[in-house]
Amino acid sequence: MVPGSPLLPAVRTRPWGALCSAPGFPSVRRVRAVGAMKLNEHSMAHYAVSGSPVDHEGFLRRCSSQGARQPAAGAGGSCPRYWFVLKGNLLFYFEGREGRPPLGLIVLEGCTVELCEAPQEFAFAIRFDAPGLRPYVLAAEGPEAQEAWVKVLSRASFGYMRLLVQELERQLCDTQLSLASRPGPRHWPHRAGPPPDRPPPQPEAELREGSASAGTEGEQGATRLPAPAGRRRLAENCPRGPAGMPLNGGDSPVSPETSCFPKLHDWYGQEIMDLRREWLQARGLGGGL
Amino acid sequence: MRYNEKELQALSRQPAEKAAEIGMRVPKKGSVVKRRLVKLVVNFLFYFRTDEAEPIGALLLEHCRIAEEEPSVFSISFIEEPDRKYYFECSSEEQCQEWIDALRRASYEFMRRSLIFYRNEIQKMTGKDPLEQYGISEEARFQLNTHQA
Repeated sequence: MVPGSPLLPAVRTRPWGALCSAPGFPSVRRVRAVGAMKLNEHSMAHYAVSGSPVDHEGFLRRCSSQGARQPAAGAGGSCPRYWFVLKGNLLFYFEGREGRPPLGLIVLEGCTVELCEAPQEFAFAIRFDAPGLRPYVLAAEGPEAQEAWVKVLSRASFGYMRLLVQELERQLCDTQLSLASRPGPRHWPHRAGPPPDRPPPQPEAELREGSASAGTEGEQGATRLPAPAGRRRLAENCPRGPAGMPLNGGDSPVSPETSCFPKLHDWYGQEIMDLRREWLQARGLGGGL
Repeated sequence: MRYNEKELQALSRQPAEKAAEIGMRVPKKGSVVKRRLVKLVVNFLFYFRTDEAEPIGALLLEHCRIAEEEPSVFSISFIEEPDRKYYFECSSEEQCQEWIDALRRASYEFMRRSLIFYRNEIQKMTGKDPLEQYGISEEARFQLNTHQA
């Protein structure tokens, strides 16, 4: 790890005693002796270049923000160009397109991204909410690139992704419920009890009608179903949501009576699966689901 | 690799998903278990000496494997170096299991996979892309076919 560089805000600083927001954490603590924070840099570098898809990449010029020391003139002028790679909430930069490992990393949490004027054309700034963190000023090669970078960096935070996932999880639950809905009394799982292994018996005609009314294109009376593997995966996400955050304190956002969306999902899902099987068999199409 | 330590320190002060005092052993020869305050914030696991305000270190929880080693002990290792393990000794099996569950869900990649899954399911069931209303349907990170797990 390179401790300091004229191109970067100060890497190592004297840490100040700070309030820590962890539960049960004493409110005043001794200042840590100066020594660089350890990171699993090798794994981070590996993450930067392999496996999961890159969210955005391209050349950007790194400009010093106003008031900062100017970078060394030898490094490609006052605004050296690097190859930037966005992965999740991490913005890595490399010497060049084939550069390995990354030269550096910017953690995109607690920041906002906005267009800015000087010093270069097509510039934008990454500004942090926390005090004392100097912004990064980067410049794209054209207006489309500038806009694309600002959009994608604004949405790069973990929190944004988590909100999206929770929203889609809720939408999927809504969709499942509306597909499973049918006229007549319903049996909602009780909060305390385990879900029934089998749904309560219903008149077949009523079920068929309910299923048909779900109406997806093509097959009459059949609904598109989540794959069994998907249902199990969904169940693994119960009840806190994929990011480990409780969803509305354990209640399903859709119905206050249900404590756990995946249980409800599995319950209706099983009912629909059985119905589909019966329907297919009745038409001589065999099982297969 | 250069990074701004202050950015990470600021992140370590954010509200945690989970925090606890846990015995930790790093994958260094001859290392022993040390009592640490371990704090999960987004996809980083920070660890502090129990009486200090700034973390001594952080682990980025991407491309990692969380394993149960013993009923109260879990480990974190990274896919490119599977034998280098960070061990965490919990005070109970329950605590251990809670941490394992939380850490497995803590990666950006896990959320991306969940999002793609939900998007695909909703699209199959309704014929509509739920991301369209947010204007992000075309972004590479949400595409099913570019996902390489």
